[in-house]
Amino acid sequence: MKFDNIIIGGGLSGLTCGIKLAEQGKKCAIVSSGQSAIHFFSGSFDLLGKIDGQDVKNPLEAIKILPDTHPYQRVGIENISRLVVEAPRLLDRAGLNFFGKADENHFVLTPMGIMKPTWLTIDDFTRFEQNDAFPWKKAVILNFSGFLDFHTLFVQDGLKKYNVDTQIKNFAMKEFEAIRRNPSEMRSTNIAKVFDSGDALDEFAQKVNQLSEGFEVVLLPAVFGLFTKNVALNLKAKVNKPVVLLPAIPPSVPGIRSQILLRKRFEELGGTYFLGDIVEQGTFKNNRLVAVQTNNHGDIKLEADQFVLASGSFYSKGIVATREKLYEPILGLDIDGDTDSEKWLDEKFFNDQPYMHYGVKTDSGFHALKNGKPIENLFVAGSVLGGANALKEGSGAGISLLTSLHVAEQILK
Amino acid sequence: MNKNISKEYDVIIIGGGATGAGTARDCAMRGLSVLLVERHDFATGATGRNHGLLHSGARYAVTDHESAAECIKENMILRRIANHCVEENDGLFITLPEDDISFQSQFVDACKSAGIGTEILDPDFARRIEPSVNPDLIGAVKVPDGSVDPFRLTMSNALDARIHGAVLLTQHEVTGVVKEQNRVIGVVLFNHERKEKVKYYAKIIVNAGGIWGHHIADLAGVNINMFPAKGSLLIFGHRVNKMVLNRCRKPANADILVPGDTICLIGTTSERIPYDQIDNMFVSRKDVDVLIREGVKLSPALTATRILRAYAGVRPLVAADNDPSGRSISRGIVLLDHQERDGLSGFITITGGKLMTYRLMAEEATDLICKKLSVDKQCETAEKSLPGAEKSEHPLSIATEKVYTGANISQKSAKDRHGTLAKNISNGDDYEDSLVCECEGVSIAEVKYAINELHVNNLIDLRRRTRVGMGTCQGELCACRAAALLCESSEKSGKAKDDLANFLQERWKGMLPITWGEGINEIQFTSWIYEGIYGLKPDNN
Repeated sequence: MKFDNIIIGGGLSGLTCGIKLAEQGKKCAIVSSGQSAIHFFSGSFDLLGKIDGQDVKNPLEAIKILPDTHPYQRVGIENISRLVVEAPRLLDRAGLNFFGKADENHFVLTPMGIMKPTWLTIDDFTRFEQNDAFPWKKAVILNFSGFLDFHTLFVQDGLKKYNVDTQIKNFAMKEFEAIRRNPSEMRSTNIAKVFDSGDALDEFAQKVNQLSEGFEVVLLPAVFGLFTKNVALNLKAKVNKPVVLLPAIPPSVPGIRSQILLRKRFEELGGTYFLGDIVEQGTFKNNRLVAVQTNNHGDIKLEADQFVLASGSFYSKGIVATREKLYEPILGLDIDGDTDSEKWLDEKFFNDQPYMHYGVKTDSGFHALKNGKPIENLFVAGSVLGGANALKEGSGAGISLLTSLHVAEQILK
Repeated sequence: MNKNISKEYDVIIIGGGATGAGTARDCAMRGLSVLLVERHDFATGATGRNHGLLHSGARYAVTDHESAAECIKENMILRRIANHCVEENDGLFITLPEDDISFQSQFVDACKSAGIGTEILDPDFARRIEPSVNPDLIGAVKVPDGSVDPFRLTMSNALDARIHGAVLLTQHEVTGVVKEQNRVIGVVLFNHERKEKVKYYAKIIVNAGGIWGHHIADLAGVNINMFPAKGSLLIFGHRVNKMVLNRCRKPANADILVPGDTICLIGTTSERIPYDQIDNMFVSRKDVDVLIREGVKLSPALTATRILRAYAGVRPLVAADNDPSGRSISRGIVLLDHQERDGLSGFITITGGKLMTYRLMAEEATDLICKKLSVDKQCETAEKSLPGAEKSEHPLSIATEKVYTGANISQKSAKDRHGTLAKNISNGDDYEDSLVCECEGVSIAEVKYAINELHVNNLIDLRRRTRVGMGTCQGELCACRAAALLCESSEKSGKAKDDLANFLQERWKGMLPITWGEGINEIQFTSWIYEGIYGLKPDNN
């Protein structure tokens, strides 16, 4: 089977790269082993939230002081300035409406009731301009009885710092009786399914209106719109005061919806999405990757002019650690990480963990290195790249979006 | 929980390990007024940091006849009085090609003379009844080993002490000993919860502080020569073996693989450490190497089994009084009457021994206390069942049944953990039945029961009472749910967030030496959820 481009990995970067290439008329395939990090999407994409633990105000400006080895520096400031405009447009064309500015972070409220700086936020969620104030003084926090993945007391505790007078209310609905009977079924995706169709949302909105009487704002877990778009927006339209949604414990309902919409966009553009398939090995010739073999396709090789590796970090199995060594499991690429396994971890959980910085080694043009030599037609994008602790920086989604767009541009040149 | 606390008691017991809790139970059952004080939580020292092996005594049969005989006697007692804490798995002592098979007959003879029943098995038969065993074995002997949950055992003793009127104070650290001439009359405690000093008085103070007893004796002005020996263990992600697997040779490193609940564990190493390191237990890479290398010899399947956690405990070994070098170390029970030994009355130390002999240690200590207080009452702890185990219609087959199916996972698991006390956990209500921890089947009702009835101060205590966060995901999702429930009951949300951060750090400590493969994937995921999405930091509040 021959494609123009094959992308290994169907998460945020693989899909972004695939959509960009397909929009330009490329015949693309994505090989995806299954779920990705989008499944625990918080509702926001960060560009650069923190440097040395301090909130970043202007990410575009702050990027300039990052080390040369950082993926953003390797993409280049000029390219970044252009791509930060393009990324939300690409998402928008997929039906995902994000808002925010690259030169001025806004804030979102976390489930711990803490304001966190971020770049783009999907329209389900509320963007705040300040991190030291909450726009309302009287808030009601609502939760579904028996839903353990939204922690109202933590939200309440967080809002205390902003001098918000809060009240917590739990309520039951007959639609949830069946799932509540099974002790492990009352989870966010199952709640979302109830609201995806039928009249449950109307009844729910009425209930919210009753319970929120006398309050200025309603806080709810983000469990709206799994397979259906606009459920969260419809709810907001039906409720007679502002509704602030907060992420619940993963899987994330807006995350799964985003994944579905991105995939749909890619397929509508003519892309081929091999779900549940795993690339097992590659055939290299003269510093080029000629073809890959996958589990489902057996000896039918998948060939392409260019390949993109967007296989994610450790938890996506893009990088594997054994007791002795780190390796890239799919194509055996070079790793940018410490060879001494004693140095991978810091004994304090919340410290900057060295392993978080590890990834596949590339040259300045994001070509993967194998045995020290760049593979001319194999690019690397997203969190499988090393050079940054995306968790500490708040740069995970930014690196995924911008490196994959950058790589797509290299391919399109 | 402890209303109307008096300031004066017959006995104050220092230490909330199995020995302290057992002594509190024994004293309370004999009608004494008892106060038990513990600096952290129950079973946080060596009690909770071992194999959880219900020794048959066979391990000591050849080298230490007395310990072996004590073990088998206590083993049979625990099966009766604590059946909800015990799994009657039996054990195999296997001989591998590299071992000397002639040791087997010596071993069987020694077991016989200690009163331990043995059965020599054909290697083929052994492979059939224990499929996980190293197939290269050339000999196998079956013995009445088992598994015991030290957290549950200690808690049951503490609960029974409370039922008999004892007062229990966790988070209370002894910072001083009150003396009047040559008599100990009380203790000074620091209450870690309220950050305040308190004093309590008693006729007898019992030092049951395990390895920390060395320091407590210091505070009283007497010297006990203790030699801390670190023992490291690894917990595997599932239960590989049905029976306890031992090597049929003289006791050595990492030669016991014990199944327990949903997991199994291999241990231990043994290494002398300086006394100032006893609160700083870490498992080294070298320890992990030894444990894996030796563990795989017992059961080759361990090569491909994920390691969940590594931990280490400190054995309180006591040097004979005439041997300050510590060359002649006793592993037996050490009961010191400081009046006779040091001319200091009102103070005794009970130490040495093992988890298996905690009850006997408590009995010996309580006999001495009763003698000093001229109380003439017999020990009944070997006959009377612990709370949770008292009903004879609670068959062991149910307690050890490990097949969790259907909607009542949580009820079955709760019964497993709390025995007949599970009846105090409400059920039937959809909300209360909701699962907090999917790996271990812990429901809201069980968490609430533990918070209300089992002296839970924080998430880490809750883990010991219910197994929340002890399973494969190591608290990835359930920690937050449990923290929220804890927060509901304490109404201190800020503290609950700190608690959550501490819980994650505590889990991390156990994962650090073994974090590779799936372990590193899981921890990265956990970090993204708690720090990335939730924005949790160690210094939130």
